Amino acid sequence: MNKPKLIYASALSATLTAVFVTVITIVAELNPALKDWLKNLSGHHWTSKSWLSIVFYILVLGVIYALARNVDARKVGVSLKLAIWSAVLGTIALLLFYTAHNFGWL
Amino acid sequence: MNLVDIITAKPVLIGIHLGFAILAIDAFLWLLGEMRRTPWQLRHLRLTAFIGVLAYAISWLAGGYYYVKFYGTLVKPIIKASEAPWVHNIVMETKEHIFLFIIPLAVTAALIAWLKEEDWRALNIRRPSLILVGFVSGLGLLIGLMGFIISASARWGGGA
Repeated sequence: MNKPKLIYASALSATLTAVFVTVITIVAELNPALKDWLKNLSGHHWTSKSWLSIVFYILVLGVIYALARNVDARKVGVSLKLAIWSAVLGTIALLLFYTAHNFGWL
Repeated sequence: MNLVDIITAKPVLIGIHLGFAILAIDAFLWLLGEMRRTPWQLRHLRLTAFIGVLAYAISWLAGGYYYVKFYGTLVKPIIKASEAPWVHNIVMETKEHIFLFIIPLAVTAALIAWLKEEDWRALNIRRPSLILVGFVSGLGLLIGLMGFIISASARWGGGA
């Protein structure tokens, strides 16, 4: 097991998972058909998003680990920064979206 | 009343959700301190990282079960009918979704603790590693603050 490559794959997958959760949450709020599909998948839209996010994280981690070549120190550092920034921006995006949704701006 | 009934009772679920979240936040703060030490104590690093990930996972399961089983029918209507329905519309909606960021970030932070110290230093990732570990704790604290607002709003809305 190449540990730096595993950290790199996990960090990039965490980045894409944050993007996935943010996008599917906002799109589902604006698209009742998608929210209904998420509800029907497990009985509750949040449960479906929880399972999908974990499956997505594991699958993407595996794919990146299998495909990544020449993972050096710089790439590992950048992947960690991306993971942090994706969660920061995802948090801000969801907070702003739900604020706008609450006040009827969207 | 069997063990499952006890564990899935509302106050016990809240206690597990909150208690393990506090344990996870503390574990990652401890991990932050361990990472700053020289030389690394690998056993301490790995134990705190493992406890942190496991505690966040348990908190997620307990909080998720409570949210799906009880929140929508018992708590949400009180908040929505109160003078602060925005607490559900903004705070709860944001909280329940940003929680989903935590496990992948916590696992990534924990994987760093499985490096040898010389490999970690050779990768030159000290700064992003410390920020990530601190962020995993900080996001947990933010979610805890949101939980306090939701809980206070439910009590206020219910007249208690």
